[in-house]
Parts: sequence; structure tokens; C-alpha cells
Amino acid sequence: MKFNIGDLPVLFPYPRIYPEQYAYMCDLKKTLDAGGHCVLEMPSGTGKTVSLLSLIVAYQQYYPEHRKLIYCSRTMSEIEKALAELKALMKYREEQLGYKEDFRGLGLTSRKNLCLHPSVKREKSGAVVDARCRSLTAGFVKEKKARGEDVPVCIYHDNLDLLEPHNLIPNGVWTLDGIMRYGEEHKQCPYFTSRRMMSFCNVIIYSYHYLLDPKIAERVSKELSKDCIVVFDEAHNIDNVCIEALSTDITEDSLRKATRGAQNLERKIAEMKDSDADKLKTEYAKLVEGLRDADEAREEDAFMSNPALPDDLLKEAVPGNIRRAEHFVAFLKRFVEYLKTRMKVRQVISETPPSFLAHLKEYTFIEKKPLRFCAERLTSLVRTLELTNIEDYQPLQEVATFATLVATYEKGFLLILEPYESDTAEVPNPVLHFTCLDAAIAIKPVFDRFSSVIITSGTISPLEMYPKMLGFTTVVQESYSMTLARRSFLPMIVTRGSDQVAISSGFQVRNEPSVVRNYGNLLTEFSKLTPDGMVVFFPSYLYMESIISMWQGMGILDEVWKYKLILVETPDAQETSVALETYRTACCNGRGAILLCVARGKVSEGIDFDHQYGRTVLCIGVPFQYTESRILKARLEFLRETYRIRENDFLSFDAMRHAAQCLGRVLRGKDDYGIMVLADRRFLKKRNQLPKWINQALLDSEVNLSTDMAVGSAKKFLKGMAQPFKPRDQEGISTWSIRDLENFKEKQEEESIRQLREAQTAGAGVVDQHMEGVRNGNEETVTRGDEYGFDDDELEASMMELDGH
Amino acid sequence: MSRNAISRLGDNPSDDICPVCKSNRYLNPSLQFLINPECYHKMCSTCVDRIFTSGPASCPVPRCGKTLRKRGFHKAFFADLKIEREVDVRKRVGAVFNRRQDEFETLLDWNNYLEEVEGLVFDIVEGDAKTRAQAEEKLKAYKEANSGEIEMNTRLGLEEGELEKRREKAEREAARQRRLAALKEEEEEKADLLKNRKEVLDRLATEDGDANAIAMQAQKVILKKSSARRNLADTQMETNKSAMDSGLTIRGLKKKEAPVVEKPYDPFGGVDLTPSRYVLQESYDSEWLGNAKRDMRHMAGGYSLQEYYARTMFEAFSGLGVFIEDEVADRGQPAPPAVGTTPAVGAIASGEEPQSKPKPQYKMESDDVF
Ligand code: SF4
Ligand SMILES: [Zn+2]
Ligand SMILES: [Zn+2]
Repeated sequence: MKFNIGDLPVLFPYPRIYPEQYAYMCDLKKTLDAGGHCVLEMPSGTGKTVSLLSLIVAYQQYYPEHRKLIYCSRTMSEIEKALAELKALMKYREEQLGYKEDFRGLGLTSRKNLCLHPSVKREKSGAVVDARCRSLTAGFVKEKKARGEDVPVCIYHDNLDLLEPHNLIPNGVWTLDGIMRYGEEHKQCPYFTSRRMMSFCNVIIYSYHYLLDPKIAERVSKELSKDCIVVFDEAHNIDNVCIEALSTDITEDSLRKATRGAQNLERKIAEMKDSDADKLKTEYAKLVEGLRDADEAREEDAFMSNPALPDDLLKEAVPGNIRRAEHFVAFLKRFVEYLKTRMKVRQVISETPPSFLAHLKEYTFIEKKPLRFCAERLTSLVRTLELTNIEDYQPLQEVATFATLVATYEKGFLLILEPYESDTAEVPNPVLHFTCLDAAIAIKPVFDRFSSVIITSGTISPLEMYPKMLGFTTVVQESYSMTLARRSFLPMIVTRGSDQVAISSGFQVRNEPSVVRNYGNLLTEFSKLTPDGMVVFFPSYLYMESIISMWQGMGILDEVWKYKLILVETPDAQETSVALETYRTACCNGRGAILLCVARGKVSEGIDFDHQYGRTVLCIGVPFQYTESRILKARLEFLRETYRIRENDFLSFDAMRHAAQCLGRVLRGKDDYGIMVLADRRFLKKRNQLPKWINQALLDSEVNLSTDMAVGSAKKFLKGMAQPFKPRDQEGISTWSIRDLENFKEKQEEESIRQLREAQTAGAGVVDQHMEGVRNGNEETVTRGDEYGFDDDELEASMMELDGH
Repeated sequence: MSRNAISRLGDNPSDDICPVCKSNRYLNPSLQFLINPECYHKMCSTCVDRIFTSGPASCPVPRCGKTLRKRGFHKAFFADLKIEREVDVRKRVGAVFNRRQDEFETLLDWNNYLEEVEGLVFDIVEGDAKTRAQAEEKLKAYKEANSGEIEMNTRLGLEEGELEKRREKAEREAARQRRLAALKEEEEEKADLLKNRKEVLDRLATEDGDANAIAMQAQKVILKKSSARRNLADTQMETNKSAMDSGLTIRGLKKKEAPVVEKPYDPFGGVDLTPSRYVLQESYDSEWLGNAKRDMRHMAGGYSLQEYYARTMFEAFSGLGVFIEDEVADRGQPAPPAVGTTPAVGAIASGEEPQSKPKPQYKMESDDVF
């Protein structure tokens, strides 16, 4: 259908639109017009991606700036889905407009997924694929080939050079699958095709890392212009992605390998001095000039990537004491030895980068400045030495990256040395965590560089938490409710068992037989009444294991077994995917199954249980993080000191966003239905932290149920769902045809005109009324906040329990 | 994990056996290795006690034979003794070559200097006997030649370190205070909550109003309190922050100049009015002024000879810095941008036409007194 938002004509590839989609698009346009950032929460299953794409593509094509869209998603399957949507949208646009638009949309993922080289693509690990590809495609390999030497190259890569550099692939939208097929046909590498075409695309769809990880972003995303529109989809975990992007762990093993790498380098340097001293000399001359100049010669992907350095630093010349190759290698060795010595300490140490640097200087005379250049210098050296077996130097590169990071950032990072794996371990296995505490650091360049950044997800409540944590300001912050013609999902909070004993996964009570039994009964009851599939989430693997074994002892599993197949998620990805497969088969052939999984595991993120695959989701316990982790503690403290976010607020927010993610798994569309059960006493007080669309559907009569009451409600609900439901019933309410949309817009206009007129006639009166409204609104929030305030002490008490165990 | 321990052992078995007495760590867990920076040969503390307690002796490691004293032995910081030695050398060299970056004109000079020092260290560490001796010689020569500067830089370095330490301490203290404050705040909030709850219960028991209303009211009170407290905390945080900031800038302070004291108003906008082409004398010998000097009638009216000298001299010299041809040529060209008010003022003061836009240096040369 075709309609206008303001002056912008939008082509929407479906004959009907949901009201929330329309609202979402209006807000998107507002953000783009204002040129600012926004946080939008759109209920899952309401066509977020397609609304986003159709609005932005319309925007792009209509206005003369033709702002490019960078759409970031988390997983490869999500990228592929978005590409398919985009393809359908462009096809629809072509049909409607009657001509083909000049348009190119591409996706990018790792080499491992896109490689065509017959032997390289068979490698299991992504890092190995990367390394092997580099050794086939590096610049010096090509030079050698040109000189007539017999070196292995990748024909798929070399064929690209025969094509026009700005036209490696025809216009159109290319799904990952499509580009693979095209690459196979034309014998050209899909990965490099995508990479090189990045600046000639209208839409790029890739993973978060290409923008957030400074080590990658520098390479892949630096040519993107300022007025690009950046979208982070499924962004509820974005702060963790940011933090991981800048954190590194160093182990004794990696240090040992790093030493070996340094020794290899030393040998290579000596060899090169004998055979080809000129190369080293040219490198040296370049370094005297400054890094950036040396950088010009950098190929698109010479070595491993480096952490971002501030721009002014990059322009500076490499410090004199690491200019010579042998000096630099000695420097690295000294640093590695120092780290080894530090690892011998047998107590936990946490220190800030400045104090680490001070200690380092005292014992090794390593200054901060050369340390900052470490990663870049190593890259340059590896390139000069024309090393091909790059994977051998990975650990050394890690150490160099660590060196650069620790010398670059003073604030927002912490070094934590943990000599033992756990408190009870006897044999030391030290790990040096260099952890980023401030999510804003990694994402700051993105906000600085791009004028419009859109952060969106199905569950991103509370909205104001994100701007706070990531350090940006929004022009629009909105959470949409879900318009439904019938109540198609039933959220409930179960706080007690049928015997009225409170249930909770809190630390003191979680192993009490009465609580475990009550959870077991809940499971049994729901397995009886749920048709097809049912998904159960636990706060952690540890807890899941202990409760399952207790259920086994109580005979609960045997009971459940009568009704459904039971499958369990494990930390092993392979096993889990087999379990998932079996689960789906069981759901499809009518018997149904139960999948027991973990709220922070793989299943809870990114795997959908639509329709028969998930009719009930049962959340056993509040999925708090393991609060004894030192890294988490440090982050909590940082959040409190820097952003004034209190520990409990953050922990509770984090738990609830995971719970909401789990709940969202079963509802993937408006024609879908499902039951959502939150089973813990403590959910009662956290209700307001659920996304608006779930919270609104949660009736007051269903927030404090016992098991039997919940079973009653669920039965009634399922009976309702079993009634025939014709799509026509939804029309005008939860789906709009073009007519409905027109009506709505008319009404909206009338309303605004009426208001204007009233304002003119009644002047002050209206203002008063308006104020009244605002005040009423305040009242509401005040009382709501109160419930929260009142329970604070209990909340705290329950929070401090060791939930992760 | 145990695999780890074993592999570590396998990596470097000499790590755990004394090369002198061959006792090893498994028989004697308290085994401790010491080195002497004379030759960096490692031995256990028992051996050191045994061999060197009775005075200096030669190193027991075959083909070494250096004379060592017990006093010189210490624990090695690094497992790799080569690095240990290198760092010791660095310490020595670093104490002599301790120039600072701000002593150099350009970055390139500084970097070249760094490289040279690095090269010297390398010669001492890696070089054969001859290069080592040469390098040592260089080191000594430099030390003698620059002892004054070396001392000064050492002092500067120490001061800096001191400042840094103090700053760190202050920061830690501030963090501790904040933590305490946060804890206290939480405590208070909890206490308040309890108190309020009790009050509500009391009121519910004694008064007979609507129970809901009472509870509602009480909740509002709590919220107000906690939000007020939070606001308070926020403002405190602000002040804390500013205090912390000022603590942080200590390091930068050293280089920063003191804020410029506001100068008295200068109507000439900084133009220097002292004549540059001549020096005004106290008095000049002049025949026809001789009378005036002595004559009461001239001086009584306040006539000042100095004034007269100044004006005469000014008039005599005033045309010297001005080249009409140049200025005419200049006039044809676009005026130099952003000359500022200073030259304009100068121009007016010197009685030239303002639109002639004298170049800045002209103004310096116009020796105008008025
Ligand atoms: S260039 Fe492309 S096809 Fe060739 S090895 Fe690399 S990723 Fe594979
Ligand atoms: Zn011994
Ligand atoms: Zn010796």
C-alpha cells in the first residue's frame, strides 16, 4: 500500500499495516528529520524490520541527500532475514513505480560464511579462515606472483581486480545466499565483493561488530559518510556488545605463545637482514615519517586488526625507541615477561590502567607512549616481514592490542587478575582480565560520527536506561503498545504454589524441597494443558542442573514425561542444535515437547518459537546475573559512580530485560498466541520494568497467582484461542487497510484542528486543561513508583542473594 | 588445570632445580632462587648462605669465576634472566640519559634521541665485549659531560612522580568517600522505610480513616523523601566532582601559566612609545637654550625643557621610517586581513592617514611620542 507521512510518500509492501507500524514509521521520520538519535521499543512480531526498511528506503529515495542506511543486526540469520525483506520491498517498489530504481543493497558477514575457496572454506574456525585467506590475498603475495614466483593465491580474489572497482556486482538487493551464487558463477569472492562495494551501496546490512568493535570498524566502516542512517536492531544487549568489544583476557598460555611469536619474529628479522635488508630500511624510513604514511600502503586487510587510536596519535611518528625492528621485538619481549611475572601473584588484584602503567614503568622502563603504538607497530612489522602463517602471531597480537588499549584509556577500564578459576580451586590458572566498564567508550565514535542512530528492539525497557549507559541524547524515545483484536497472549505472574508457599529462585530458598516441588507442579500442570511446544527458562545452567536432578528424585519428570518429550539446552552448541531439531519435530507431529533452557543461553536470544513451537513460556526464577563476579562488581561500581545508576537498579534492569527476551520468544506475530508465565515471588515488584506492551496486557487480577489459579486462567485463555478467528475480525483494529489509515489520519487532523481552534477561542482554559492532564499523568507515575519504593528493602535483600549459582 | 601445571614444568625444567646443589622444588617447596647482578647466575638461597657467608667468593657456576659478595644477591623479578639483566642495564642508562621531551625542538629530534639511547642499551645488552666496552665508554663520557642537567632532570622526574602519587591517593580517597556516602544513603533510606511502615501500621491501628488512603499517603511521603535525598545526593555529587576535577588537574597545572592579571588600560593598544632611533638625553647643550634654562621668567610658567627636547627630536626623526613609494604601492593591494586595532591606533596616533594601513612593523618604527 501507498501512503504519505507528512510530505514523504511511503510504499509499504503489504496491503495492510498495523497501527503501531504506522506510529513507528512516523517517529522514525521525525528522528531523521531532526537529525538525532532515538530509542524505540516495538513489540516483537509486529513487523519492525519491514517498517524500518520501507520508511528509510522511501526517505532515501525521496530526498535528494540519498542518505545511506547501515543496518546492524546480531546474527547471520537475522541479517539474511533483513536482506530478504529488503529484496521483497524493492520488488514491490519496482512494481508500483513502474521502473527499477538505482539501488544496491548488500550484506556482509565473516569470511567463514562467505568464502568460496575450495580448501579454505572447509576450515572450521573463523580465525583460521581469516588467516588463511590473508595469506592468499596479502599485497606482497600478489607482488611475488607478478614477479613470476610460484605462490598460492586465491583466484576468486584476483578476479575482482579485473572488474571495474565501483561496479563489482550489478545493482539490486543481494542476499547472502544470492551473492554466494553470483560469486560462484562469476568466480569472484563474495566477501571482498561486499567489502569493496560498501561505499557504493544504498543499504548495508551487517553485524554489530563491524561498527562497534574498534578493531574491525577502522577497517570496514571508515569510508562511510557522516549522514548515514545507522540502525541497531535487537539492541537490548548493545551495552554488553560494546563492552566485550574492548575487553581482553590474557592467560599464561597466551603469554607463552606470545613469547614464541616474539622469538619467531626475531629470527625472521635476522633472516631478512641477511637476505633483504632494504625492506627493513624502507619500513624504517616510513616509520620516521609517521604511521599514517606507512598506513597508505596498508592493504584492505593486511594483518589482524588494531584497536582504534585517537586520530592525533595516528598522525604522529612512531616513538624512536621502537622504530627499529629489533628494538621493537625486544620491547615486546620485555612487556610479555613483565606480564608473566605479574601472573605469578597468587592473590586477586584489581588496578586501574594508570597504576598498572606506573608499576610497569618502575620495573621495565616501558613508557606509556611506545606502548600505545604497539599494535600498529606490530602490524607494520608483520607486513614488512611478509609473514604468511599469521595465525602463529595471533597471541602476540592480542598482547599488543592489550598494550595499546591499556595505554590509551585511563578511565572506564580495570585490570583484574584472578589467579584461580574459582574460590575453591587449588591449582592456579591465572587470567588477567582487562575489562571495559563503560559501554559508552566503544559506541561513542558511532554517535559522534553519524547524525542519526536508531536503537530499537522488541524489549528495550526501561528506555531511559540506554541513553544513560551509552552516553547519548535522544530526540525520540518511544515504546509502542500492541494493538490486538483479541487477547492473543496471556502474561501471568505466579508467586505461590497451590499450597500457598511462595516460590522464588532466591538463594536461600531455591533448594528447599517445597519450592522445588512447587516449581515441579507448575511444570507438570502446564505440560498437561499446553498444546504442542513449551519452553522453560532457568536463571543459570547450575541451577537448572540441580533442579532437574531434584525433580528426577521427586518423580516429577516421570509425570511430565507422560505428556511431553523433555529436551535440555547445554552449553555445547552442537548438542543444543540437535535438541532443538528434535524439539521442533516433536512439536510438528502433535505430541509436543518441553525445552528446558537458560535465560542467558543461546536459545533465549535469536531462536523463535512461533506458533506450535511455543505455546507456553515458563520463566522459573528471576534471571539475575552472578553477582559475585568481580568484573560485574567493578562494572556496578563504575555505573554508580559515573552514571548514578544504582547497583540494584542495574541488576534488576538486566534481569528483566532477559526475562522479557525470553517471554518475547513465543509471540512472533499477531496471528500467533501464547501463554507467558513468570514464576517467582519477586516478579511482583518488577512488573513495571517489563516492556510496555507486555505490562499492558498483564491484568491486575493476574499478577499474584497461585499455581491452580494460573492453570484456571490458562485453560480459559486456551479455550478462547480455540475459537475460530477470522482475519476479518482484526480489520480496523489491529490491522489497517489503506482506508482505515486514511480515516485515522483524517481524524488526527480534525483533532489537531479542533485543538487549535479551541486554543484560540478559550486561550487560557485549554492550557489549564492541558496542565491538568500533565498533572494527572504525574500522579500516575508517582503512585506507580511508590509500589517500587515500598519494596525496596525486600528487593535489596533478595538481590544480594547469590542468584547466579 | 593440572595439565597446565605440568606443561609449565615441562616448558622450562631448570626453573625448579638449583644449578649448583641440584636440589629441586618438589623436595624442598620453600626453595628460593637468588641472583647477583655481577653475572646473573641463579642459585638457591641455601647455596648463597653456604658459599658467601664467610666473605666474597667466586661464583660456583662452571667457567664463570666472578667474585661475588653476599650483599649483591637478590631475588629476580623476571623469570627470564636475560630480561632481568636488560632491565638493570636500562636502569643504569636511564639514570644518565634522562632528557625530557620538552627539551627538544621537534618531535623528530626527540625520537632520534630515543633511538640513539635504545641503540646504546642494545649495545650493552647484546653486543660483544668490544661494542659493550665502547658503549660503556660513551655512557661514562656523557655522564661526565652533562652531570648538571642529569641531576636537574632526575629531580624533575622525582617531583613528577611525587605529584602523580599524590594525585592518585587523592583520587582513591575521593572514591572511598563516595562509596561510604552511597552506603550511608542506602542505610538511611532503609531506616526511613522501616520507620514509615511502622507509622502507617500505628495509624491504621489508632485512626479510623480509610485504610487505603492512609497507605497511599504514606507511600507518597516515602517517595518524596527518597527523591529529595536523591536530589541532594546529586548536588553533592556535583560538588564532589568539581573537587575531584581540581585534584585531577594537578598534573596539568605545572605547565599551565598562572592566570594573567588584568593589566591597566592602555590607550595606545600596546604600541611602544619609547623612541627606538635615538635616546632622549637629560639635557642637550644648545647655545640659545642656555638663556632659557637660566631665566626665571621662562621657567616660571611651567615651561619644560624636557618636553621641548622630546618634541624636537621626534620631529627630526619622525619621517625616517616612512617610505612613501612603498606605501603607495601597498595601497593598491587588498588590505591585509585582520590587522586588528593595534596598528590602526598606532596609525592614528602617529598622525598618518588611517586608510594607508601601515604594516605592523611600521608601527614599531614610528617613534611617536604623542
Ligand atoms: S579471497 Fe574470498 S574466496 Fe578467496 S580465500 Fe579469501 S574469502 Fe575465500
Ligand atoms: Zn643450591
Ligand atoms: Zn656466575
